[in-house]
Amino acid sequence: MTEAALSTTTIGHGVAAATPGVSPWKRALLYALLVAVSFLLLYPLLWMVASSFKPDSEIFTSTGLIPSDPTVDAYRRGWSGLSVSFGWMFFNSLVISLLVVVGNLFSCSMAAYAFTRLRFKGRSFWFTLMLGTLMMPQHAVLIPQYVLFLKLGWVNSILPLVVPKFLAIDAFFIFLMVQFFRGIPRELDEAAIMDGCGPLRIFLKVILPLSTPVLATAAVFSFIWTWDDFFAPLIYLNDIEKYTAQLGLRTFVDSTGTSDWGSLFAMSTLTVLPIFILFMLFQRLLIEGIATTGMKR
Amino acid sequence: MTTLALNKIKKSFGNLDIIRGVDLAIGSGEFVVFVGPSGCGKSTLLRMIAGLEPISGGELSIGGERMNETAASERGIAMVFQSYALYPHMSVYKNMSFGLETAKMPKPEIDKRVRKAADILQITHLLDRKPKQLSGGQRQRVAIGRAIVRDPKIFLFDEPLSNLDAELRVQTRVEIAKLHRDIGATMIYVTHDQVEAMTLADRIVVLRAGVIEQNGTPLEIYNRPANRFVAGFIGSPKMNFLDAVAGDVRDGGVSVHIAGRQARLPIDERVAAGAKLSLGLRPEHIGIDGTGGLELGTLTVVHVEHLGGQTIVYGRLADGQSLTVALDGQRAISPGSTLEVQIAVENCHLFDEAGDRIGH
Amino acid sequence: MVGESTMSTLGTTERPVAGGRFTFGDSLAGYGFLAPWLVGFFLLTLGPAVASFYLSLTDYSGLGAANWVGAENYVRIATDDPRFWTAMNVTFTFVLLSVPLKLIFALAVAVALNRGLEGLSFFRAIFYLPSLVGGSVAVAVLWRQVFAGDGLLNQALNMLFGFEGPSWISNPSTSLYTLVLLAVWQFGSSMIIFLAGLRQIPQDMYEAASIDGAGKARQFFKITLPLLTPVIFFNAVILTIDAFKAFTSAFVISDGTGGPIDSTLFYTLYLYQEAFTNFRFGYASALAWVLVLIIAFFTAMSFLTARYWVHYDD
Repeated sequence: MTEAALSTTTIGHGVAAATPGVSPWKRALLYALLVAVSFLLLYPLLWMVASSFKPDSEIFTSTGLIPSDPTVDAYRRGWSGLSVSFGWMFFNSLVISLLVVVGNLFSCSMAAYAFTRLRFKGRSFWFTLMLGTLMMPQHAVLIPQYVLFLKLGWVNSILPLVVPKFLAIDAFFIFLMVQFFRGIPRELDEAAIMDGCGPLRIFLKVILPLSTPVLATAAVFSFIWTWDDFFAPLIYLNDIEKYTAQLGLRTFVDSTGTSDWGSLFAMSTLTVLPIFILFMLFQRLLIEGIATTGMKR
Repeated sequence: MTTLALNKIKKSFGNLDIIRGVDLAIGSGEFVVFVGPSGCGKSTLLRMIAGLEPISGGELSIGGERMNETAASERGIAMVFQSYALYPHMSVYKNMSFGLETAKMPKPEIDKRVRKAADILQITHLLDRKPKQLSGGQRQRVAIGRAIVRDPKIFLFDEPLSNLDAELRVQTRVEIAKLHRDIGATMIYVTHDQVEAMTLADRIVVLRAGVIEQNGTPLEIYNRPANRFVAGFIGSPKMNFLDAVAGDVRDGGVSVHIAGRQARLPIDERVAAGAKLSLGLRPEHIGIDGTGGLELGTLTVVHVEHLGGQTIVYGRLADGQSLTVALDGQRAISPGSTLEVQIAVENCHLFDEAGDRIGH
Repeated sequence: MVGESTMSTLGTTERPVAGGRFTFGDSLAGYGFLAPWLVGFFLLTLGPAVASFYLSLTDYSGLGAANWVGAENYVRIATDDPRFWTAMNVTFTFVLLSVPLKLIFALAVAVALNRGLEGLSFFRAIFYLPSLVGGSVAVAVLWRQVFAGDGLLNQALNMLFGFEGPSWISNPSTSLYTLVLLAVWQFGSSMIIFLAGLRQIPQDMYEAASIDGAGKARQFFKITLPLLTPVIFFNAVILTIDAFKAFTSAFVISDGTGGPIDSTLFYTLYLYQEAFTNFRFGYASALAWVLVLIIAFFTAMSFLTARYWVHYDD
């Protein structure tokens, strides 16, 4: 019973509605359709990657996916295309994303633990408020937050991007962890109490070790969303040395206009690459993460 | 060793009273079983003793010391949970040593205790495995082992057999009994299964709706149930209850009108003539060979169950009341036939309208 | 043997508070663990929410003082701001087009994939990928090129049909639709949620229906769809709220202008311009609250009307 409750697959053991008697012709047709749609869907991305290896002249003349004369010239141009090398911007993105992951895991797991495992006055009140913040658009608090950070002297640094994550500002992850923690049998907490543990030890030695699936999911989503974040760096980072990869890319578009698509695609490919790698490694985790948020309503 | 005493223990959740005043004393080394239907509060009572639920009223003392406010791990108690509550991410060894590590016991001492407990339970070969690699019976032993290493004065068991299949249940029941004999610690055991209660207990505490209905040895409970509830709860098949009306009461006895007949039963209480009574008869005490005692008349057989070692007959008496009879061995009885049934007077139980026993 | 036990060997090292008992009702532990969130809630959510409402009643520019102007900002929004209405128009069009289309594609593909085909996880991953990368600047940049006058789409159209297309993103009457397309392209995450929902429908319902003679189409409309309504509802609400908040694609494709001629002026983009380009913090706060109200109104309406079409089986 304990083990079953802890397996995180919410999809994968349901039965796909394989309707019997689907004729082979229909199947083939369906397949062909799906393949066609997939191809169409991915084509722009594939073309972008391919084009990053093409000389400029070819980009505007060929829709093909194989460069006739592959070259990494565009990458070289793009890397040093701005006053600061793209390497710096990747580095900034990496630092910010990793810090955000740490912050989210730390603060959101603590909040989720409090909401699910500890009893204290006002718990359901705060929980309702937390759920409320999930629905609230961040634009309502955007400007005062900016003013606050301005007065603190934090604008033009990574602090406004990172510190809030240590304060569990991403209620979505609290929600995700709450759902998961609820699946951990309470008897384990009780056995730990009988074993002499207080709330902290139960959190560290029982709950967290059993939560690796949700922690991993939260970490990967945190990283991806932070890496892809454009708005917050846009308003808080002013100096080009501090830019993230996304900001760098946008600046690059501005400066090159329509003149150097090759290097633009090269840098674009590079900014998408980490996401793609994470995707390949953690596909199952990501997909199940999304599925569970949709299902547990 | 230790005694445990519950004094006017109450438990409420908001406006809901779960436990309404329980007094109980448990002697050192006793095996006490809390038994009762679901919702009677037996688990809650156990958890209050364990320290997992705060006590709303009354006093709990262990070894003469008040324990209401003491932390669970400091009461000298260990608990075996219904679904074992083994830490899935820890090995069997770790599961057993976790509590001792938390108490900062030195490693050699921990190792000694774990291995000794593993030896008693014959799980030494499983020490490196994780719970999910174990069978239900093995997990249960690890749960017991985890309790043993704490060297507690009192063991608490919360329905430990309910997750096992029938065959394993019997086997494990025997092992728990043996464990009690070997270790000699006080054990408090909660179950809804009256067979477990009867076979394991030195003393049974029957609970209903937060109150103790009766507290006694298994045979006391079986032979002299304090009320209709206890009488019907213990014993399988369930005791028959026939409506009866008190006739005149003369010294030492009352005449009882039952199933169109009259009989005389010895009692030592006053009963008003005309009072409505319940006559309790255990199926296994009813005979069909006419050897005297209280005659119940003709039973029309409605249904028969042939179990091989036992035959259960369901039927109706002359006045339409149902009666179940449990006979030894195999009998050639079929539905529609009739039987003359009787029961020895000393096997009769009389209950008044409120359900309380009328003593004899 | 076990007989010589002493409680002291098992004494805990954790001295819980107040009388030596840890129970679940220990407020200290609860608030201790909740502390980071509580600080964040007051400092970064509640405080700013109240402050932004206050700011919306001032003419704060980020510098100097915030002078009270009462409801002036709101009045201006309602009566004297053509760009506001343009932004509303653009945003609503975007929402009303992209959300239903996304839902339809997501549902259609989910149903198709749920037929017990081989390679389900392969297709699922492929369809999900656009969702994952779609929000990034890189893809917005790519889209800009694809739909440019000399872009990929026009190259393909020329090659296949000899058709010379216009610059889709520079043309005010088509620019918004490129953004809609970008949004719909990312239907993968909704599809995954639908797939999970489909998996939860018990197989025996379909079997019973087959025995009753219901064909596949009938099964879909009478069994699948009704049982999926909670998931559809959830998806619709989330997608709509997200669509109202869309920003990056419009910003990158229009270079932050919302152009050409404000044809891609998403509401959030307008807000950004007012706050961070024109330094009208007070006014932008008012705009923010109008957005909050719109989203709140929409959400409330959704939940109220849900009972008429969403099937819950508790």
